[in-house]
Amino acid sequence: MAEEKKLFKVTIDNITVEVEPGTSILNAARQIGGDVTPPAMCYYSKLKGSGGKCRTCLVEVAAGSTADPRPMPKLVASCRTNVMDGMIVKNITSEKVQDARAGVVEFLLINHPLDCPICDQAGECHLQDLSYEHGKEGTRFEFAKRTFKKHDLGPYIQLHMTRCILCYRCVFVAEQLTNKRVHGVLDRGDHAEIATYIEKALDNDFIGNVIDVCPVGALTDKTFRFKNRVWFTKPVNASCKCDKCSGKVHLWMRGDEVLRVTARKDQWGEVEEWICNTCRFERKDIKDWTIEGPVNVNRHSVISQGHYVGLKMPDETFSKVMNGRQPKLLMDIHSVSEVNKPNVNLAAIPGPAHSTDFDTKTGK
Amino acid sequence: MATGSQAGYQIARTTKIKLSDRNNIADQNMGVKLLLKDAHVEGIRYYDTYRKQGGYAAVEKALKMTPEAIVEEVKKSGLRGRGGAGFPAGMKWSFIAKPEGIPRHLVCNADESEPGTFKDRYLMEFIPHLLIEGLIVSSFALGSNATYIYIRGEYAWIPDILEQAIAEAKANGFLGKNILGSGFDCEIYVQRGAGAYICGEETALIESLEGKRGNPRIKPPFPAVKGVWDRPTVVNNVETLAAVVPIINLGGEEYAKIGVGRSTGTKLISACGNINKPGVYEIDMTISVEEFIYSDEYCGGIANGKRLKACIPGGASVPILPANLLLKTAKGETRYMNYESLSDGGFATGSMMGSGGFIVFDEDQCVVKHTYTLARFYRHESCGQCSPCREGTGWMEKILKNIDTGKGKMSDIDLLWDIQRKIEGNTICPLGDAAAWPVAAAIRHFRDEFEWHVLNPEECQRRNYGLAHYADAREVVA
Repeated sequence: MAEEKKLFKVTIDNITVEVEPGTSILNAARQIGGDVTPPAMCYYSKLKGSGGKCRTCLVEVAAGSTADPRPMPKLVASCRTNVMDGMIVKNITSEKVQDARAGVVEFLLINHPLDCPICDQAGECHLQDLSYEHGKEGTRFEFAKRTFKKHDLGPYIQLHMTRCILCYRCVFVAEQLTNKRVHGVLDRGDHAEIATYIEKALDNDFIGNVIDVCPVGALTDKTFRFKNRVWFTKPVNASCKCDKCSGKVHLWMRGDEVLRVTARKDQWGEVEEWICNTCRFERKDIKDWTIEGPVNVNRHSVISQGHYVGLKMPDETFSKVMNGRQPKLLMDIHSVSEVNKPNVNLAAIPGPAHSTDFDTKTGK
Repeated sequence: MATGSQAGYQIARTTKIKLSDRNNIADQNMGVKLLLKDAHVEGIRYYDTYRKQGGYAAVEKALKMTPEAIVEEVKKSGLRGRGGAGFPAGMKWSFIAKPEGIPRHLVCNADESEPGTFKDRYLMEFIPHLLIEGLIVSSFALGSNATYIYIRGEYAWIPDILEQAIAEAKANGFLGKNILGSGFDCEIYVQRGAGAYICGEETALIESLEGKRGNPRIKPPFPAVKGVWDRPTVVNNVETLAAVVPIINLGGEEYAKIGVGRSTGTKLISACGNINKPGVYEIDMTISVEEFIYSDEYCGGIANGKRLKACIPGGASVPILPANLLLKTAKGETRYMNYESLSDGGFATGSMMGSGGFIVFDEDQCVVKHTYTLARFYRHESCGQCSPCREGTGWMEKILKNIDTGKGKMSDIDLLWDIQRKIEGNTICPLGDAAAWPVAAAIRHFRDEFEWHVLNPEECQRRNYGLAHYADAREVVA
């Protein structure tokens, strides 16, 4: 019999879960799922070294462990803090966390252009979801938003630096997936930007994955640019035989047209298997793919059918406010409209009907 | 000179100690100098003179001890980190992991970029051998065969001084292979920074030393486990490492007798601002803030006969204190120049020892303008890695600029308070805190000055607010 592994018991928002040692608080919370999972804008489980930067996943540790039950003095980044046995974590039950998270969301949004109406990411943007959940309706920022000099990253990838939240995910992708990273973070502070130092196209077979990992619309697909809104397209699982990658993708279709190809994403919006640039940018014909079936749209998307499950219609309130009386019919549209005059038998009119056929004045 | 202020000072102090008579007020250690005792000696920068003054005795003594014994001495001395946080150095040393077959490193943090702090520069520029000696002893204690000095890029001329001192030490057998026949090898390398305040944070410093972008790492793992090139590393401030020399020479217990309470030994204070004698002073942490500012031995009083308005006692990132809270704590006790007394009352009525950058403001200084200057500094120096600091520092700067130029609104003050509250404690490294604290303290203690700026947008462009009620309590008596 294999040696029994000791599991760590961790309590998050009064829900206890047993996880393997070395699991981060965020991943433990993901095992529970639902509302107790802190949002993560920069952490990406498939990218080594990511996380800790956006500070949206801050949680309060009310007790460090059974051995040392002292609370941690500061809020900790749950994506980069490992659980201890007997740890008690507060996420949505902590006002401090909610307050800090609202602050972080505000900070992320003050310089964000909020150009969702023209942004290709809209509809599947993690920052949109985050600000719906934790943001305020108004802004307290009364200054010009920061802008950047435009950088061209080549024929496939469009960079909108103003939308960037500097999660560093694309940097990690380039470092861990490609053999040579040509883009990175230049400058520092609030004028830090993603760019290639010398104007250069990102050119690597797997560099297209930066589009998928970008939580906002900073890196988007140039071949899909302004083609359509995400929620008008229909995602299907498809695959092809590709000699570079697994070939397992989502096709975003409208009719028979393949508008966009992305990697398959799991419920946390993370790519399951990286795909190559050929699959992503070149194979835009339905004949290139074997369609496997529709996609269960993840929770990050407005296209998710889940939003309409158990939809509750508003109650009819007329009779209630009118003390039980039914509303008086003000105008019966059928009795006024000449076109819909029910006593004219359209089938009996030879040829196309004219206004004269419905003329009440002539009394026909 | 400052006769008016000096005279007023004497009147008010009748019941207190006299400046000229220091021996009456403190123990025998008062005024003791350990680090700067030979600073006045001509040619102390060079090996021959330094050796003649008794230099490198600590190395000779230490190499006959065991590394554990040296760590024990440093622990006994109660030496606290001089870089700002004040963490006990001996404790830090004892945390270093010692895995088999993996080299360990000592890194000297000479990236002294805190506005108002220039003590390390003085030490390195005039007595470089003291640092080298401290580094050799500490390297031996920690088992570091390759030791690095990470020096601020703006100190362009100091690396040459250090390199020369290293070469001299090497020529005399204190560095290199088999130092003094002890079998211990040690090399010291000087690495220049490229001009970033953030690289004074120890993990950012390590990243920069490795040749990467100076972004602070997320802790844990701490540098004592995974530091430079994932090897166990200790990062210490210049002054901390220099203080190891007197600790070895005197012995830890003897060193601990200097100073008071948990503030043992001597501390270098770099005094600047509106004082008569700006400079680097070595104090033994038993003197009061009042004495430090007004005595002729130290700052020599406020310049031009003006009155004291406020002071930042530990470098730009610690909270500013108005004169009445600076000289006396909220409880009415005298405030002393040491870790405990300066932080007495928490941030509500106290401050911090910090890195020892003592910035004094006279009545003509505008706290709003000063806070704006600091906010601008922190916006410029934020690494941009984590959101609260990246976005918050820029936002605070913009609001402060508005208030400073008379375009502010009353609600801006509350907004500033809210922003700093949301930055503090929510960032990866302490730079977020350092950016938030000065703003918080300025609003906490000088809110009326901010409000005056908002209410008098035109007048605030022409003249300063002056002293108001937070003036030096002593002056009011006089």
